[in-house]
Amino acid sequence: MTYRILTRMGDGERVTMSAAEIKEDISEGIRDAAQSAEIPELTAGESEQLFNIMAEPSRTVSVSAGEEVVVTDDGCSMSFYAGQDSSGIGVPLSRMQAILTYERACAADTTSIGHSDYSFKPVKPIINFEMNEYYTTSMMTTAPLFYGAQPNMGLYFQPDGPYPNPADLLPQGKIKEACETQEAAAEQLRNDIVFVGKKLNSIGCEGLNLDTCGSAGDADLLAALQAVADLKKATPDMPVIMGGSGEFVLGMHGDVAFDGKRLAGMYPQDQAKVAESAGASIYGVAINTNTNKSAAWNIARAVALVKAAVAAVDIPIHVNVGMGVGGVPMMEAPPIDTVTRASKSLVQIGKADGL
Amino acid sequence: MHIAHIVASGMGGIRTSGDLVAWMQMTHKMKIFEAKHYVADKLGVDIIDLTNEEVMRQLREQLEIGVITSIAGSPKGLRAKLKIAELLEIKINSVNLFKSQIT
Amino acid sequence: MSEKIFQEAFDAIVNGEADKATDAAKRGLDEGIDPLLLMDKGFIPGINKVGDLFETGRLFLPALIYSATAMEKATEIINAAIPVGKELVSAKILIGTVEGDVHDIGKTIVVALFKANGFEVMDLGRDVPIARFIDEAEKYGADIIGSSTLLTTTMVVQKELEQELKKAGLREKYKTIIGGAPVTQRWADRIGADAYAQDAGDGVKKVKKLMGK
Repeated sequence: MTYRILTRMGDGERVTMSAAEIKEDISEGIRDAAQSAEIPELTAGESEQLFNIMAEPSRTVSVSAGEEVVVTDDGCSMSFYAGQDSSGIGVPLSRMQAILTYERACAADTTSIGHSDYSFKPVKPIINFEMNEYYTTSMMTTAPLFYGAQPNMGLYFQPDGPYPNPADLLPQGKIKEACETQEAAAEQLRNDIVFVGKKLNSIGCEGLNLDTCGSAGDADLLAALQAVADLKKATPDMPVIMGGSGEFVLGMHGDVAFDGKRLAGMYPQDQAKVAESAGASIYGVAINTNTNKSAAWNIARAVALVKAAVAAVDIPIHVNVGMGVGGVPMMEAPPIDTVTRASKSLVQIGKADGL
Repeated sequence: MHIAHIVASGMGGIRTSGDLVAWMQMTHKMKIFEAKHYVADKLGVDIIDLTNEEVMRQLREQLEIGVITSIAGSPKGLRAKLKIAELLEIKINSVNLFKSQIT
Repeated sequence: MSEKIFQEAFDAIVNGEADKATDAAKRGLDEGIDPLLLMDKGFIPGINKVGDLFETGRLFLPALIYSATAMEKATEIINAAIPVGKELVSAKILIGTVEGDVHDIGKTIVVALFKANGFEVMDLGRDVPIARFIDEAEKYGADIIGSSTLLTTTMVVQKELEQELKKAGLREKYKTIIGGAPVTQRWADRIGADAYAQDAGDGVKKVKKLMGK
C-alpha cells in the first residue's frame, strides 16, 4: 500500500495524500506563484525542504534553534476577550489584562492594543479614550506596544459613510463617479489616519500598526501610504508598520499611484517597495489561501511569494499568518498542524523577517 | 493561533530577547539577522543564545530590563523600557515622554 | 474574413470598447457568420480573457465594467439574430451578500460578468436578510438565487437560506449557487446548495450548467 501523508485542504479538511501528490502540489503552487507575480520559482532544494516539512509525521513542527523570528500581532490579545466574530474566546478580561497576559503568559515578542471595531474611522471620535487606555497600558508593558487599526475605507462609503459607494456606481457604468468618490474617501481616510497617529504619538505611542491596508482596493492602500509618509515627517520617532490585505492590490480605481507607481495589481514584492518608500518600518505581506487547494499547494505558493518580497526590500518583511492567509487554512479554528507547517516554511524557506 | 506561531517560530518575548530584537526592527528597520546580531552584540551573547532561556533569564534580571516572571521590586514596564532604550541606544517614544516629564 | 471579425470582437471586449463590439457584431452578422459561432469564437473568448486578467490583477474593476458593458451590447445584437429555440443560455439570477456581511466587491465582479454573459441579474446588494432573498426571488421570477459571504461567521446564513427555502416549500423552485472566500464545494454539498462558484468566471460556467446548457 502506498504510504499516505496526513495533511489538509485550504478549508481545513483533513485529507491524506501520497508523497508524489504532495510533491506535485508543491511544484504547482510554486509555479502558480511564479506565473502570477512574475517572480522566480523556489529551487529544487527548497522544494525538497518544503516537502520534508509537509511530510513530517509530528503533529506540530517548529523552526530550528537559532532561526526564530519576531512575531508581531494584529490584535491577538483582542481575541482573548472578543467573541466569535474576531475569532475570540470571550474571557472577561479588560484590554490591559489581555495585553499583559499575552505579553507574560504567551511570551509575545510585541503586543498591541486597538478599538474593538479595529478601524481608524471609529477611533477618531473616541481618540481621547484610546489615548488614555494606550498611555496607561504602555506604562505596564515591557515588550513593544503597538496601536493597531485598519484603514478600512469601506466605512467611508454609503450607507456607513458620506461618500457614494463605488460598488453601487460601477455596476451602473458610472466609472468616473466611482473613481472620484474613491479619491475623496481616500483623502478623508488619510487625514483620519494622520490625526489618530499624531494624537497617539503625543502620548508616547511606541508603534502604529496600519493593518490590512488596501482591503477596499488601490485607493485604500494609497491613503495608507500617504498617511505613513505624512506621519514619518510629523512623528519621525514613532515606528509605523503596514500590513497588506491580499496578494495583489485590487484595482477598484485602477489609476491611483504612489511614488509614480500604479498600485492596482501590485504583488507583494512591489507592495513592499512602496511601503518602504513611504517610510514603513516593517511590511506585512498577505497571501490568500485557496480553500480548494491543498496545504502543500498553498504553503508552497506563499513561501515563493514571501521569498521574493523579502529579497525586494531592505525593510523587514513579516508575513500575515492569520486565518485564511499565508498558507493557514480558512476556518475559524485553524488546525495547529498546518499552522505550524506554514509558520516554519515561511521562516526557514521564505526567509521571512517575522510573522 | 498566534500562540502556535509563537511556539513554532517566535523568539520568546521578554522570556528571552524577542522584545529587544523587535525594537531594532521597528526603530531601525533591521532585517532579522541584522537585528539579532545587533542585540547579541549589545548583550554580549552569541546569536543562538538570544532564544536560550537559561542564558537570557539571568541576563535580563542582571540588566534590569524585565523578566517574564513577576518579581516584586524588579523593573518591568516603563522602568524596564527605560533601561532597554539605553542598552540598545534607541529612541522609544513612551520612554522619551516619561523622561521629558521627570527632567 | 470570419477570423478577422472574431479577432475584432475579441479585441473590442478585452479593450472594453462598446462601439467596436457592436460594430463587430453587426458586421459579422451582415457577412453571414452564424451568430452562435460569432459569440463562441469572438466575444466569449474575449470576456473569458478579461476574467483571467482580472483574477490575476492585470486588469482593474473600471476596465472590467467597460468590458462587461461592451459584452452586454454585443450580446443584445447577437441574441436578436438567433433563431427561436436556439437562444444563448438565459437565466434570471437574484444575487446578494448575506445578512451580517457588508463585503460586496467580489459580488459586484460576479454581477458584471453575469451580465456580460447575457444573464439577467437583480443585485440585492450587501447585508441582505434571508426573507428578502426569498421575497425578491418570488417577485422577480428568478431561476437562480446566488448568495455571497466573505466571513466564516456568516457562512452559516447560506445554510439558513437553504433551510428557509425548504420551509417555505420553495426549494425545488430555484437553483441555488454560493460563493465567497471561505466557501467550498464541500460546504455547498454539506448545506445542499446546487452549485459552488470559486470565482466570477467559475460562476458563469456553473450557472450555464445549472440552466442545462
